[in-house]
Amino acid sequence: MLLHESAIKQVTGEAVFVNDMDISSEMLTGHVVYSKYAHAKILGYDLKQAKALSGVYAVLSYKDIPGENQVGPVAKDELCLAEDVVTNIGQAIILIAAKDKNTALEAEKLIDIKYEVLEPILEIEKAIEKNTLIAPVRKIERGNVEKELNKSKHKISGVLETGAQEHWYLETQSCLCIPGEDRNIKAYSSTQHPSETQAIIAEVLGIKSNEVEVEVRRLGGAFGGKETQANHIAAWSALLCNATGKPVKIHLFRDDDQIITGKRHRFLSKYEAGFDDEGKIISYSVELNADAGSATDLSMAILERAMLHADNAYYIPNMKVIGKAYRTNLPSNTAFRGFGGPQGIAVIETVIDKIARYLGKDSVEIREKNFYKKENDNITHYGEKVENNRLQVIYEKILKSSEYRKRRLEINQFNSENEFEKRGIALTPVKFGISFTTAFLNQAGALVNIYKDGSVLVNHGGTEMGQGLYTKILRIASLELGVSEEKIIVNATNTSKIPNTSATAASSGSDINGMAVKNAIDILKDRLASVALELLGSKSQKENIIFENDFVFDKNKPGKKILFKELIPAAYLKQVSLSSTGFYKTPDIWFDREKGVGNPFHYFAFGMAVTEVLVDTLTGYHKILRTDILHDTGDSINDEIDIGQVVGGFVQGVGWCTTEEIKWDAKGNLLTHSPDTYKIPTIQDIPADFRVELLKGYPNPNTIRNSKAVGEPPFMLAFSVWLAIKDAISVVGNHKSEPEFSLPATNEVIVLAVEKIR
Amino acid sequence: MNNTIKFLLDDNVVEIDFRKEKNLRPTTTVLNYLRSLSSHKGVKEGCAEGDCGACTIVLGEKKADRKIKYTAVDSCLVFLPMIHGKQLITVENLSQKKDGKVILHPVQEAMVNSFGSQCGYCTPGFIMSLFALYKNHNNPTREVIEDSLSGNLCRCTGYQSILESAMKACTKNGGDHFTERESLTSKILKEINKEKTTIHIVSGDQTYFHPFTLDDALMLRKHYRNAIVVNGATDVALRQTKRNEKLTEIIDLSGVDELKIYDEEENGFYFGAGMSIEKMKNLCEKPFPALYNILKVFGSLQIRNFATIGGNVGSASPIGDTLPVLFAKNAKVILQNSKNKREVDIEDFIKGYRKTDLKDDELITSIFLPKPKKNEIIKSYKVSKRKDLDISTVSLSCRLVLNKGEVKEMILAYGGMAETTRRAKKTEEYLEGREWNRANIEEAMKIVKEEFAPITDARASAEFRKIAAGNLLMKLFIDRS
Repeated sequence: MLLHESAIKQVTGEAVFVNDMDISSEMLTGHVVYSKYAHAKILGYDLKQAKALSGVYAVLSYKDIPGENQVGPVAKDELCLAEDVVTNIGQAIILIAAKDKNTALEAEKLIDIKYEVLEPILEIEKAIEKNTLIAPVRKIERGNVEKELNKSKHKISGVLETGAQEHWYLETQSCLCIPGEDRNIKAYSSTQHPSETQAIIAEVLGIKSNEVEVEVRRLGGAFGGKETQANHIAAWSALLCNATGKPVKIHLFRDDDQIITGKRHRFLSKYEAGFDDEGKIISYSVELNADAGSATDLSMAILERAMLHADNAYYIPNMKVIGKAYRTNLPSNTAFRGFGGPQGIAVIETVIDKIARYLGKDSVEIREKNFYKKENDNITHYGEKVENNRLQVIYEKILKSSEYRKRRLEINQFNSENEFEKRGIALTPVKFGISFTTAFLNQAGALVNIYKDGSVLVNHGGTEMGQGLYTKILRIASLELGVSEEKIIVNATNTSKIPNTSATAASSGSDINGMAVKNAIDILKDRLASVALELLGSKSQKENIIFENDFVFDKNKPGKKILFKELIPAAYLKQVSLSSTGFYKTPDIWFDREKGVGNPFHYFAFGMAVTEVLVDTLTGYHKILRTDILHDTGDSINDEIDIGQVVGGFVQGVGWCTTEEIKWDAKGNLLTHSPDTYKIPTIQDIPADFRVELLKGYPNPNTIRNSKAVGEPPFMLAFSVWLAIKDAISVVGNHKSEPEFSLPATNEVIVLAVEKIR
Repeated sequence: MNNTIKFLLDDNVVEIDFRKEKNLRPTTTVLNYLRSLSSHKGVKEGCAEGDCGACTIVLGEKKADRKIKYTAVDSCLVFLPMIHGKQLITVENLSQKKDGKVILHPVQEAMVNSFGSQCGYCTPGFIMSLFALYKNHNNPTREVIEDSLSGNLCRCTGYQSILESAMKACTKNGGDHFTERESLTSKILKEINKEKTTIHIVSGDQTYFHPFTLDDALMLRKHYRNAIVVNGATDVALRQTKRNEKLTEIIDLSGVDELKIYDEEENGFYFGAGMSIEKMKNLCEKPFPALYNILKVFGSLQIRNFATIGGNVGSASPIGDTLPVLFAKNAKVILQNSKNKREVDIEDFIKGYRKTDLKDDELITSIFLPKPKKNEIIKSYKVSKRKDLDISTVSLSCRLVLNKGEVKEMILAYGGMAETTRRAKKTEEYLEGREWNRANIEEAMKIVKEEFAPITDARASAEFRKIAAGNLLMKLFIDRS
């Protein structure tokens, strides 16, 4: 068993995060003054008094930005500092650098910003009514949806609200900037996307990218929240660093982090489905309306992934998906594990669940009936073939291992004997497309250095945020180079070592960076093989040279071996380069956004969960009695790390589905701005009986060591909890009427649904 | 000992003289103090309000028998003088270096081997909660583990691996290098604790008192009538950490042992106002199960270890967890000034939203709970979004006396339904003298819904609160049928 590469440092408190870095006694604290109104004109402010306060080193407004006042990652519609209008509460207006936090807070009190309040748009319904589309409407369509809907024997329709979600990474956003020679600047940022952070710092400072170095050793959790929105904090620190000539650190206070940064997109989805007597869906039409917040950020890519996952695991011959993202006066919503996938999947899972109730059947039968098949019925609504389909094998295994049918009967029995406590059960699948849907992002770089003593330093473009990427890269490097792990170090991610990287996102971290590292090692092995042939006195071919367990040998003469650490100095003396870059691009993927067709994914990840819950219908309290998960990770590079991702993703999904409710007041103030009111799961909220397994014996072709991405897909297995709760509520009305249900299913939603049904 | 506090850290007695410290104030939290030291950056701030546990540290306190009692607390809520005379244990103290090799503590080793850390930011806090669990429980049940760790949030692991770590680690009766040093530690702490004159700290515009006797505390209260009185400060600290208020005058009662008493008398029990919620919880398990059930879901273990019953009653929060059950129990609040002592019924003590009958020269010294009566039924219920470490949306405590199937006496005390804990008098009136049956309960459910005008806030809507208030009556009925 290979342990997490930082585990010992983490348990002893030695692992260093950005906020733990004390660079010098000169280091200043950066502070951001943000809008208190969701939509307002800025009439004016005076910074003189704040600037005059002792201990204050800089007070900056947009006028002090030497470069572009812009931090938008894709669309350039997001100001670094507000100019004459503010468009959400939490939008940055003024930056302060002071000797400490208290001084910065004192300085903030001396800044009186005068506003003229304008009317905000805070609800999707209102945004729809005012038609505040942030980009043109998107559509993916196959077959003749209207015609087939009209012909369908049975039809259901409805509206589903899925809520926002706060990332609640334990480490709030942080960045430390240090001035260098000339205009150079070095940033230690808690970012998932060092190259973009580098580019944005360069843009706001009006300097070139080669003058900015961004380094990331580890993040204290990210989950998508630091994919684009770490850039803001980095840009602010860089501006203050540039203005003062001193190191400046910004580490957001928890409440500020929750108020300033965007969340998972709220969706308001409208659907209609036509199906036959058996529950086979013939035609499905869905309109996904996303709350983008005040700027574009990644909203269109997120919307796209929601549209591409509107089918989840089901083949639907006639299908139309409309996607719309609306501008509102809330902080710009952003990436969050699943990246729109959960919002798209929630709707089709609701449809399946409703069909089952409508037809009086068990929902697993409806699911099975509609799964993508292997030989036919295997083309998605956007035209990609579902290859290496694992749905049937997972379904058969989990139905058996979870004893679903037997427990369904026991649950029915329990429910008939208990008036107010009800049990529910649900099986839900996930099929998740792996790759960035923006095809060019699927590239990665690596740099592998071998030093004369035989030690190896691996650099790659991915960031370590708890998902175990460095541990996997270490394993990959060790196996590919045939050198034991203690001789290898995976270095902090640095833009000076690996340029032009993509964000560590879309679950792709180990897939693409692992391949890039392998590519670098393959190049090195090719060079070293020539030297090895000489040392072994062999006339064999380079391809026959094997690197394994710190030895190098000819596979045809395994008796004669040389040590790797002896080969290296020999290679050095022979003037062989011991350093190589590596590169990888995911092959054969493309997507035509105009037509809504393509092959956007390299492959699909599959998984299923069966969950049983107990619901107290009087208080809305629920307990997860048991969850079984079977998840496909191909040939896992590290079982324990992959299981950690499955369990962690699932529990994060449970939070989104149950207790994590975000509320704003009528003026757009975030009411749930701290863990006092925003409730992520605790140890008591996990399944009492939790059985997680990885699917074994199904290698994934054409990936690094036949493995599979695992970061996001398990998140969506939490729908089993959500629908098990709905199943329990539905018992109150003898499964005859459809509970009024939304996501998250808080105790309030549960009690109100029960009240209506009773 | 003016201006100076002493405690044990890294096996050394640390003396802080606030006159000499430029960056430390008496209300500097232990978290911020530790993070100002380059050798103690393992402790993390995750929320600055005691909700996430990333800042968990363990305090060692001398017990009577040369043993040390280990308790986990949230260092973000603890003011420095509160650790005077104690051992401050941080994540850096757990592992040892021998012959250049790191020897991990059993809880650290279990976390490493179970993949209990992912991003690692919450890990030091978990390690410290696990350490306290390790010292206090051998082979703990899952319930005990959950209870010990529910004050630590993790966003990566989904907790399963941490749960497994706890099960693996806590099997050695708490034995470790702290045990080996215990008698020495105890001796050092005894020495520090000899001095019993009030610590009086003046620092900038702050005045801070840390008395050791009730008499001293009452005299201070008499002379400094505007001073904020704290014990655990788990509520007051937020005014500083969250709202950046300057707390100028403080009387800190955490050093007064007389306020931590527990007395059984003929008619009932006295719980010292300075008793921790955790200790009260443990004492209540047998005699007052309804109170025990509420205290069990009061905050987290870290909060319960520091928060006091006097503080919870004195803050008079509309959603204070203990108040409804104290109403149902007809509890009395014992108040004292430098001359007199008086007893007030809890219902008369609570005057409104965060308002009480406490005079500006008085302290709450204890809470009196009458002994359970044979025919009385006391029940309590709490509705919150999350089961643990969450504030009540609605809570109900009731006292019910039945006589031949009829309601003889009834108290229905609700939290979360009004600006303060409030009895549902109309509903009580309706039920009194009526048969204890379902039809009457269903009628009472309708009455209670109309009796209150609750608010809609971040936690729940008014509509939900009303329905839940009624439903809790039904829960009571089922429990008693």
